[in-house]
Amino acid sequence: MKQSSATKFSGILGFLCLAFVLAPILHIFIKLSAEKLIETIQDREVWEAIFTSLWGALWATILGCLLGVPLAYFLSRVEFKGKTLIESIVNLPVAIPHVAAGIALLSLFNPRTSVGKFFSFFHITFTDTIYGIIIAMLFVSLSFIVGAAITGFNSVEEELEMVSRSLGASPTYTFWHITLPLAFPAILRGAVLAFARSLSEVGALLVLAYYPKTAPVLMLDRFEQYGLNAARPVTALVILVSLIVFFTLFYLSKKYAKS
Amino acid sequence: MLKVEVKKRYSSFELDVKFEVKPNTYTILLGPSGAGKSLTLKIIAGFEKPDQGDIAFNGINLTQLPPENREIVYLPQGLGLFPHMTVRQNLEFSFKCKGKKTEKSLLNKIINEFGLKNLLEKKPRELSGGEKQRVALARAILATPKVLLLDEPLSSLDFDLKVRLIKFLKEIHKKFDLTVLHVTHDPFEAVSLGEEILLIENGKITSPENSQTLKDFFNLMNNLKNFHLLL
Repeated sequence: MKQSSATKFSGILGFLCLAFVLAPILHIFIKLSAEKLIETIQDREVWEAIFTSLWGALWATILGCLLGVPLAYFLSRVEFKGKTLIESIVNLPVAIPHVAAGIALLSLFNPRTSVGKFFSFFHITFTDTIYGIIIAMLFVSLSFIVGAAITGFNSVEEELEMVSRSLGASPTYTFWHITLPLAFPAILRGAVLAFARSLSEVGALLVLAYYPKTAPVLMLDRFEQYGLNAARPVTALVILVSLIVFFTLFYLSKKYAKS
Repeated sequence: MLKVEVKKRYSSFELDVKFEVKPNTYTILLGPSGAGKSLTLKIIAGFEKPDQGDIAFNGINLTQLPPENREIVYLPQGLGLFPHMTVRQNLEFSFKCKGKKTEKSLLNKIINEFGLKNLLEKKPRELSGGEKQRVALARAILATPKVLLLDEPLSSLDFDLKVRLIKFLKEIHKKFDLTVLHVTHDPFEAVSLGEEILLIENGKITSPENSQTLKDFFNLMNNLKNFHLLL
């Protein structure tokens, strides 16, 4: 089929767009020496940072689903005044600078506040702990889960829930067997994006929980202390691990949606 | 006997209906789009609350009961087959959703009766229009409803399939002694299926002599007759 000039022009711009995303990432790998990479692979601190990132992102995603999915269901099913305002509040973390998010979280959760004292009672503190990492990641990623889950719940035809109820199913049974399974592919996509967003978080962590170091914080640390050449191998390894994790999750969620 | 006497008011529409559906009869509620047919079914099924009036079955008031406790199965126009389940899972849902064990003998009887044996492991998206109708009806009957509510079930089908399904609906109605309330805007469907026909227009049950739907239908028939004579 002959392509129109508009299609060709879009193709060229599309290629530039892809190149803009891929070129810096590829450049990191091109500039990388095998010797430095092996050295980094053997660096315990790097693996600890990667593990901290994955662990924090996993918990932030789980908590995000536990908190965000019910909110999304409520927003999808109930009409009320101020609904748009609530939806905007959920999206607020996307709009505010992440350092500001870190400062806000530190301001609320530091051990001197009543919230901080409440959690201290359960031996949970947020400054420079894994809990701090989790809530910072949760704060910046929650909107991805809520947004995706709202889309998922909205896509479930009300008719199906009505049929389920009229066949004799309770509202709870209908939710678990009809609504949630049908909305699940969208929720899963949101969770994968939230996980990826959590992995890449740095701004809020610098303020709230610099330690234990996550992978992005370690990269920044190496860059500031030893310069670009020292930061490159860590960055390459972190990108590699992140891409493997992200694509595996993305592939699995796609496969689930298809099934 | 299902007794319906309800009022429901919206800003631009008012439903005010009073009628009865006799046991084991195939009753048609015939009316044009926007007459309040689907709203009436939703009120009977329990998905809409009436502003006034009651729904009663054999003297028991159902108005305050939730849909799952009414034993009235509602089949919407889109049929409501669960897309993530196979045909077998859709059929078994009628038992499982009530915490019951699947009644194998009843299930097998219905599967044979409805010719679903080769469809059991298929998902709804793999079925033809007629097959979907059969699965949805089979699932509804497995729930052993006191009343089956059909909301324009044949409206999206082509004429041939419609004729075949009308025959099929008649057969299953007889075989399973069902009490059916079927809403439609199609007079052909109504006269083909209905043992009782109720006419609804502008939210009210109307008499045949006042029915615009019937007048339009007879005009159409006359025009067709004239057209035929011209040919």
